[in-house]
Amino acid sequence: MNYEQARMKFICDEHRCIECFGCAVACSEAHDLPVGISRRKVLTVFEGIEGKEYSTSIACMHCADAPCQKVCPVDCFYIREDGIVLHDKKKCIGCGYCLYACPFGAPQFPKNGAFGTRGVMDKCTLCAGGPEETNSALERQLYGQNRIAEGKVPICAAVCATNALLVGDAEEISAIYRKRVSSRGKGA
Amino acid sequence: MTNHFGDVAGHSKLIFIIGANSAAANPIGMKHFLQARDRNSAQLVVVDPVFTKTAAKADHYLRIRTGTDVAFIYGLLHVIFKNGWEDTDFINARVYGMDDIKAEAGKWTPELTSDVTGIPADKIIQVATLLAKTKPATVVWALGITQHSTGTSNTRILPILQLVLGNMGKNGGGCNIIRGHDNVQGSTDMCCLADSLPGYYGLDEGPWKYFAKSWGVDYEWLKARFAAPEWMTAKGFSLAKWWQGVLQEEKTYSSSPIRALWVQGNGITSMTQTAKVQEALDKLDLLVIADPFVNEAAVITHQKDNIYILPVATQFETEGSVTATNRSAQWRSKVVEPLYESRPDQEVMFAFAKKFGFYDELTKGMKMGVKDRQLTHVKDTFSWPDDASLEIARTIKTIGCDGWTPERLRKHQENWDMFDPGTLLGSGPVAGEYYGLPWPCWDAKHPGSPVLYDIGTAVNEGGMGFRNRFGLEHEGVSQLPDRSVTVKGSRITGGYPEITKENIETVLGIQLSAEEKERMGANWKVDFSGIIQEKCREAGVAPYGNAKARVKVWEFPDPVPLHREPLHSSRPDLVEKYPTYADQKNNFRVAVRFISEQKAQEWVKDFPVMLVTMRVVNLSGAGMLERTSKYLSHITPEMFAHIHPDLAAGKGLRDGDMMWLHSPQGTKIKVKAKFSSTVTPDRIALPYNFAGVMQGVDMSSNYPDETRPYAVGESSNTITNYGFDIITQIPEYNAGLCRIEKA
Repeated sequence: MNYEQARMKFICDEHRCIECFGCAVACSEAHDLPVGISRRKVLTVFEGIEGKEYSTSIACMHCADAPCQKVCPVDCFYIREDGIVLHDKKKCIGCGYCLYACPFGAPQFPKNGAFGTRGVMDKCTLCAGGPEETNSALERQLYGQNRIAEGKVPICAAVCATNALLVGDAEEISAIYRKRVSSRGKGA
Repeated sequence: MTNHFGDVAGHSKLIFIIGANSAAANPIGMKHFLQARDRNSAQLVVVDPVFTKTAAKADHYLRIRTGTDVAFIYGLLHVIFKNGWEDTDFINARVYGMDDIKAEAGKWTPELTSDVTGIPADKIIQVATLLAKTKPATVVWALGITQHSTGTSNTRILPILQLVLGNMGKNGGGCNIIRGHDNVQGSTDMCCLADSLPGYYGLDEGPWKYFAKSWGVDYEWLKARFAAPEWMTAKGFSLAKWWQGVLQEEKTYSSSPIRALWVQGNGITSMTQTAKVQEALDKLDLLVIADPFVNEAAVITHQKDNIYILPVATQFETEGSVTATNRSAQWRSKVVEPLYESRPDQEVMFAFAKKFGFYDELTKGMKMGVKDRQLTHVKDTFSWPDDASLEIARTIKTIGCDGWTPERLRKHQENWDMFDPGTLLGSGPVAGEYYGLPWPCWDAKHPGSPVLYDIGTAVNEGGMGFRNRFGLEHEGVSQLPDRSVTVKGSRITGGYPEITKENIETVLGIQLSAEEKERMGANWKVDFSGIIQEKCREAGVAPYGNAKARVKVWEFPDPVPLHREPLHSSRPDLVEKYPTYADQKNNFRVAVRFISEQKAQEWVKDFPVMLVTMRVVNLSGAGMLERTSKYLSHITPEMFAHIHPDLAAGKGLRDGDMMWLHSPQGTKIKVKAKFSSTVTPDRIALPYNFAGVMQGVDMSSNYPDETRPYAVGESSNTITNYGFDIITQIPEYNAGLCRIEKA
């Protein structure tokens, strides 16, 4: 048993992900996102190429040394003790620096207005809301559900059909993934 | 499914998936196949004309030419028999007619099979070797196998493969046919079909009389409801070709053309020949649609009047049982009251019955019950859904629904956490029972049967032999197995016939009292008294018998399955060698073309590209429900076809260009080209999940206000080629041809 503070992480097992889009649709539905804002994306690489094709699901990876936080000119990001990277939409100016810094394409910007002016940035919160009062109407409106505060698993992993998307303490989910990989063989 | 998903995940060493894209059609089922890989090092073999998302997870992917499944399996059997890899003990003890299969398999050398199927000969030998050396192996299929003009042969050759390998009745083995929609197994068991009463009883006079008794109505009254007595036992029009009942272009056999159509809970636009469906809808006097979402039948017609759309509640707004793909019943509670003016399905039917004047007769069965071993009127009112469930339990004996009382099913629902997902076995309050009491569940004490045909388990604990369905003898050969096939705990050594009133004393070695004789029904299928089952329980005997499986069906046009080329074949040279059936005079009240269609012209000259239809993961059926979700529509906002860049290049098409696809039936659809390596240049693949656009004409202005889905589009079914199975009349969705033109 590990008594250290948990560090929350996602892993997507590409041997399990079948591109069903369940995670992405559940995320959009749960947080009532505008169409086109993809907090979570499902990608297939080498589609149709035998032996190479795989699918995976990507969102904010909640980095320990989050590049988004490092480049933000208004310092709107903060990292919780459990490792969840969140941001304050009231501080965000929609400049888009974080999008350039992020290796995963996690930050999303609503395109509204005639010239596609950027709105305030939106991204995966690991279903942990934002800086507003926990489970308040304002938090819900700005950041979507706060399932972590309710003791629930993030919706994307909760609905994953094949248990490809794992979420939780980094130590625990890497143990699950390691067990899978080590028992996975190529013959009976 | 003969087994269940947990069983596959826990035991299968090889999963042979043919004509199923579970990653798109049943993601939860797919999880168990992937778990089997992680837990048992199971290998995944995927056979499909298209490199699907399921194929992407395969250890061995075999790209088959459409409509050649029977040839392919014979190719595997050829290698297996040639090397003596068949399970001889199993075949001798439990199978009848295997010599005929062996003779046919002898013709299908790897080279011939390769020429017909397009699968390399070394791959055929490799997979046959894997199948023979890896036990237990399970075989998985879905609509890619059934939806063909040879669908019946396809669905027969796969269990034959499992019988040859001795994989039936075993953990990790069996034939696992994956259902793609909620409660499809349940609606099949209730026979929402034109050729059978519920529970596969058929339409003969005997079954009608049995049901009349169970419903508490006079048989003569029922008979008088038909235009003439002969229609009572004749098959009705099928879902596949009902439109001929309206149009009557092909010869039909009915007392009248169809003038009114009532569609409840059925996406008739997800059937093939949509252009014909449209013509038929245009000609109807009356169309009634009853669905939670607007059924496109009401949208693709040009009629402006005499269409009625009734809002029906969803499953969350009503209560009752559904049947899962593994034969388990699941009880569901009502979550919310029906929204707005919508009503549950049964309420709509009750309201109609009242207007038509037979409400009392329709609901009388729910006031009947078995008292003192006799079926009788037991109460004056009924409560939904409990009394409907009780009616099913006491009537549907063929598949063993006797034990499915609402009390037991509710208890299973309330104790979900007490069942082991790997074995389905319960503990605590549901100790000793399998989740959802998978049928056959012979009586109220039976735990359900998680794995069919398992003779290593006692009947009263879920075991059984094969059913005695086809008589005791054929051409002088007994259809009962010898003493080596004794079901565990059975009083009878070896095989035994299905139990009837006439043979029960001899077979079970018992003496019936006069009262028992008087109350007992003629056989186990129609015995309301329950005495036959009671005696069978005491003897550890399955009422349906313990017989051999037969691999030749002497009543069918092909007693052993034969390869027959699709009606619209990409290989005219093979049409000569493997022609389809002779034209069918009357099946489901209508003539069906086979050879005349196949030989009408050399189709591949004008239609050189193979047409494969498929499902996308975010839409099901015609997408009636899912296309009303903005998020699901966003994934595939418009209709498209997967096309290989090499094929597109020859047509001057670039990725994203629009193209016309023309069919041999003279129909066409306009869709977007989506470059993809999942298909080879000889074929295209397109989803059947769109509707609302017909041959280039957008009909979506016909949706009532505020009901237009976010995505509308052409359906592949508008250009699927003519063709129907010779037995079931399921349409040919998956082996056809088309011509591509730049739009």
